[in-house]
Parts: sequence; C-alpha cells; structure tokens
Amino acid sequence: MLESLFISLQLALITTGILLLIALPLAYVLAFKTFAGRTVLEVIVALPLVLPPTVLGYFVLVMIAPDSLLGSAWQSMFDSSLAFSFSGMVVASVLYSLPFAVQPMQQALRAIPDSWLEMARTQGLNLKQTLLQVMLPAAKGGVLVAAALSFAHTMGEFGVVLMVGGSIPGETKVASIALFEMVEMQQQSEAWILALILLAVSFVMLSVVYAMNRQGLNVEIGK
Amino acid sequence: MNRIQNCIKITTRVGALDLQVDSRFSNAFIIISGENGAGKTTLLRCLAGLEQAAGQLQFGNKIYMDSIAGFELPSGHRQLGCVWTDAALLPWLSIEKNILLGTESVDSAWLAKLADKFEISSFMQRKPHMLSTGEAQRAALVRAIYKRPSVLLLDEPFSAQAPAIRQRLRLSLKSMQAAMQIPVLMVSHDVEDARVLAHHHWRMREGKLLVDVAHIGMQQEMQA
Repeated sequence: MLESLFISLQLALITTGILLLIALPLAYVLAFKTFAGRTVLEVIVALPLVLPPTVLGYFVLVMIAPDSLLGSAWQSMFDSSLAFSFSGMVVASVLYSLPFAVQPMQQALRAIPDSWLEMARTQGLNLKQTLLQVMLPAAKGGVLVAAALSFAHTMGEFGVVLMVGGSIPGETKVASIALFEMVEMQQQSEAWILALILLAVSFVMLSVVYAMNRQGLNVEIGK
Repeated sequence: MNRIQNCIKITTRVGALDLQVDSRFSNAFIIISGENGAGKTTLLRCLAGLEQAAGQLQFGNKIYMDSIAGFELPSGHRQLGCVWTDAALLPWLSIEKNILLGTESVDSAWLAKLADKFEISSFMQRKPHMLSTGEAQRAALVRAIYKRPSVLLLDEPFSAQAPAIRQRLRLSLKSMQAAMQIPVLMVSHDVEDARVLAHHHWRMREGKLLVDVAHIGMQQEMQA
C-alpha cells in the first residue's frame, strides 16, 4: 500500500513539474497571441476534460508502443520499453492533466491589467523582464492553482494509468489502482485506509485552490 | 538651441475618432488641451507606440515611425517617459522598486533628487496600496523621469494633486524640462499649467490641432 502511494506521489510531483514548464508558454500564447489554429490548439488542450480516460490512454499506448516512432526511439536510447513503464505513465499523465495546468494560468495572465503591460512596454522592459518581473508575479495565484490542480488530478488518475502503465507492482501500480485491487480481493481495512488517505490529499489540494481563488487569481491587486 | 527637431505627422482612426496631426516643434514644453474625445490621449498613445497610426514620427535624430518605409520602432526602444491616468504601479513592489523596475544599476543621487523634487521621499519604501491617488501619481511621474527619457508624455499628471502642491510640482517639472532639454507633451485642462509651463499650447478638437501655437512661437523666435 505504501509502495503504491509512493509511486502516486512520485508520478504527481514529476507530472506537475513538467506540466508547469510546458503549460506556461502554452498559456502565454493562448492568453496573448492571435494566430491561425488558435481555436484548434485550445480544443486540443481542453480535450482531456471530456475524453474518456481509456480513449486517451489507448492513443498514448499506440503512440509509445515499441514499434512506434517515439517508442522505438526510446527503446534505442534507454534500452527499455516506454509502454508499461513509469516514464510512459508520466507522458500520459502530462497530457491528461494539461488543461488543469494551462487554463488557470491562461485566465490569470488574461486578468493582468492592460495598463501594467503597457507600462512594461513604455518603460522599456524586454520580454524576459516583462515575463519575470511583471507577468509571473501578477499571475502567481494562477500558477499555484495550476500546480495544485495538476497534482491532485494526477493523484486521482485511474483509467489512463491503467491503460498505459498496466499495474505492475513497484513500478506502475499507483494508489488508485491498488485500491481497486484491494476491493476486488476484499481487503476491506486496507482499502479503507488508502481511500481515506487519497480523500485527504484531494481535500487539502482543493482547499488550497479555493483559498487561492478567493484571493483572486492575481494576488495582491490591492485597491 | 531651439531648432525644430521633432516631427509628428500622423493619421489614425480609433473608434469614432479621426486623428490627423501634423506638427514640427523644438524640444519645448507643450501643453495639449481640448474637449473630451478630442484625441489628446490617443495622440500620446500613438507617440508611445501603443496605438497603430500611419505617417512619420521623429524625435531628435531618432525616427520612431515611418509607415512609408514600413518602419516602426517598438515602444521599448523609444526611450519614453510616460504618465497615464492609471498610475500602473505594481502592487507587490515598493514605490522605490516600482521606479527602478527594469533598470540595471541604481543612480541613488538622481533618485533622491527626483524623490525630493516631486515630494515622494517619505513613502519610497511603502507599497502602492498604502498611497493616496495623488501620491501614486507623483510616484508614476518620478518613474517616468528617472530613466532620463528622450521624450516625456504626460496625460493629466496633476489631475489628482491638491491645489497647494500643484504649483510646486509645476516648477519642479519646468526645471526638469529645462535641465534635460527634451520635448514634453502634457495633456492638461488647467489654465495655470498652460500659463506656467507651456512654450507652446496646442488645442485639439475632433482629432485635429486647432491652433498650433508652435508655429507662432517659432516665428517670434526667428524675429528675435
């Protein structure tokens, strides 16, 4: 049980880290740029919200299968299969939680007053200074919400990780899958404890999100 | 010294406004007045590169825009000092850090001098939410001047100031302009601003310069 919890935590942490790196530029582009294919990009980012996890899991599995482009490249580089591995689950989790990371950041970036961005332009700030000294501090709340939601959502995955990971003990058997197997084998007391732990994690994470939202995605806007 | 070195020749449409301004002027203090919707703020925004326009813009030997050649200098490279009606101070930074935003090194003597002249010394370490609107406006003015801009664009910079402090601010701004020898374009409805500060007084109506007193001033200079 502890092992599966540890794998879940590890998966959630790594996924959240990768997501913050990927989602920030995506959110920036979606918040400020107009270009052909913008709507398509927004739809693709939002797809995991409505897609059955098994559908997403199936496509990821096809994408990372040993005879696929990505799968064979991985195989030759690391001499191990990407399918049914922890790394394969990370790929799937990143895609699955993408909207939970992108959307809060996109909203927070959009909520930055125009006057601040114009001030940054006329004061001669370059893009890097504008990003690090104006946009990121202004959208700090959105970034925190994105991190908390990505983490909680990854902890709560079931269908995707089952399809892609295959529930290998000690490698890809995460807590949610372990719980399912405990119930199947009628290990009631252990199932209770694991379920309570997962409930607590989700509760804490959502509390963080709601507390942030009450402050406003853009913290400290002041008067 | 007072040679004509700045040129504004622009046209643009923003909403219902049809802006057409054609003027040449020296590094003078220019007060712009006119009714609401006359295009005063839009004119300043065009000069700052925040609004699209067609035509030519040149300040000193620097070309800001030449739409025939398809050239437009980005706002960040125009060396502007701007004060808009929204002070746009970042709430998580102290006033001092707001003023120094984007600068590499600190010229503390210059900063202290400006803080003293525009009466913000007492709250340099405070956050913007602890300031009155007038205090925030003065901080924005110092932020605009601190970088030693090549042109100052001020949109009613004294609108939130109490009458008692206005005259002191006018004199500070006047001496700054005289020392820096840069063009200042300031939107104001206050006749005292025009009386104390203006070398030239532009009046605008429906997007056009009604009286370009700059030309009159130029003739006087040439006769003298």
